[in-house]
Amino acid sequence: MAGGAKVVVEPHRHAGVFIARGKEDALVTKNMVPGESVYGEKRISVEVEAGEKTEYRVWNPFRSKLAAAVLAGVDNIHIRPGARVLYLGAASGTSVSHVSDIVGPEGARIVGLNSQYFLKNGGNFVISIKASCIDSTAPPEAVFAREVKKLQEQQLKPKEQVTLEPYERDHAVVVGVYRASKKKDA
Amino acid sequence: MSASLKNAVKRKTHKERAQPTARRKFGLLEKKKDYLLRAKDFHKKEDAIRVLRGKAEARNPDEFYFAMEKARTKDGVHVVSTSEPNRYSQEELRLMKTQDVGYLTLKAQAEAKKVERLRSSLHMIGMAKPRHTVFVDGEEEAAAFDPAAYFDTHPDLVGRAFNRPRTEQLANPPPVAEGDTLAGVAARSERRRATAYKELLQRQARGEKLSALAARMAYAKEVAGKGRKRKLTPAEAGGQKGVFKWKAERKR
Repeated sequence: MAGGAKVVVEPHRHAGVFIARGKEDALVTKNMVPGESVYGEKRISVEVEAGEKTEYRVWNPFRSKLAAAVLAGVDNIHIRPGARVLYLGAASGTSVSHVSDIVGPEGARIVGLNSQYFLKNGGNFVISIKASCIDSTAPPEAVFAREVKKLQEQQLKPKEQVTLEPYERDHAVVVGVYRASKKKDA
Repeated sequence: MSASLKNAVKRKTHKERAQPTARRKFGLLEKKKDYLLRAKDFHKKEDAIRVLRGKAEARNPDEFYFAMEKARTKDGVHVVSTSEPNRYSQEELRLMKTQDVGYLTLKAQAEAKKVERLRSSLHMIGMAKPRHTVFVDGEEEAAAFDPAAYFDTHPDLVGRAFNRPRTEQLANPPPVAEGDTLAGVAARSERRRATAYKELLQRQARGEKLSALAARMAYAKEVAGKGRKRKLTPAEAGGQKGVFKWKAERKR
């Protein structure tokens, strides 16, 4: 997609993420491999200075919970250039490809194992909760509260929580930090 | 100039006048022959009404035909009973309904595809107000909570959920808009974006209507089909009408 001069790109609060406003109104990440789409998503190229072009890939919040959380205004996603990321539950790799755009090459590792083994004290986590998958009869707010309690029991301390309207119905993303119990610390 | 030479020279082609753009909403421009058709049709109807009115005025109230004994009115309007049998058989009707459902489903799917494509680059940025919960330790901390400090941003930007630049980002080179920011270009892209959003909303609404209609027709077809069933009372069906329950039957 040729964006040309008609797109305005605004850097986002989270490093490596941008908002493109032109004909489109989209969340984007800078493409690590210009000219390549990973899953058929749109690409927007913007002329920075004469002749020099930067290419961005559209990050669809209707498909990625992480993108939806970013637009919902989460304070910290703990994913930034150079970070080491363990992405659990990767399916077709759409979100993962954007995470890779943000952190750069060799940063994203996909391991299907329990995060408890991989997070060190003070390590951060981002989890997406779908209320209807856990309990479709209870109101979503109650389900989120219950899940947050469960996290606390597993020494995962929640910092914040955002709901994902209008991208997903009855979804919430919880961001927090993992710490061993205080007894062990002492 | 001889006549043959005159014929050989290309003459100007006269084009028919088209409907002016400002009057496009009225459809094709009406020409004389179109007007004639319309006028003749109008006058034919006018004449028919005049003749009928005359007949009604000259009616004999004592007039009687035996057909009057069977004649009925519905809500004050005379109903003509036709003895014409059903034109289509039950089988044919079912097939036609299946085709209708298939067509509607196809159209609904096409609409959903287009919505998906539009939505992939129209992210409704800043259009919804999601609920944001911040977890703090204890009541005092909750009372002393300052959103601007927590998000490390300017107080005016706290409500801008989709992007709250950090103080550091605001202080250092401002969020430079890359590319061209000429006012005219910005206004044009704004307009194009508004049009795209409008199209998205219309397609969404149309797709929802189509799939709802397809589902309703498919259900009606099932009800008309085979299998023992009974109609649930509104109380049983949770307040809904026209809900059927099929008897469990072993399928081979």
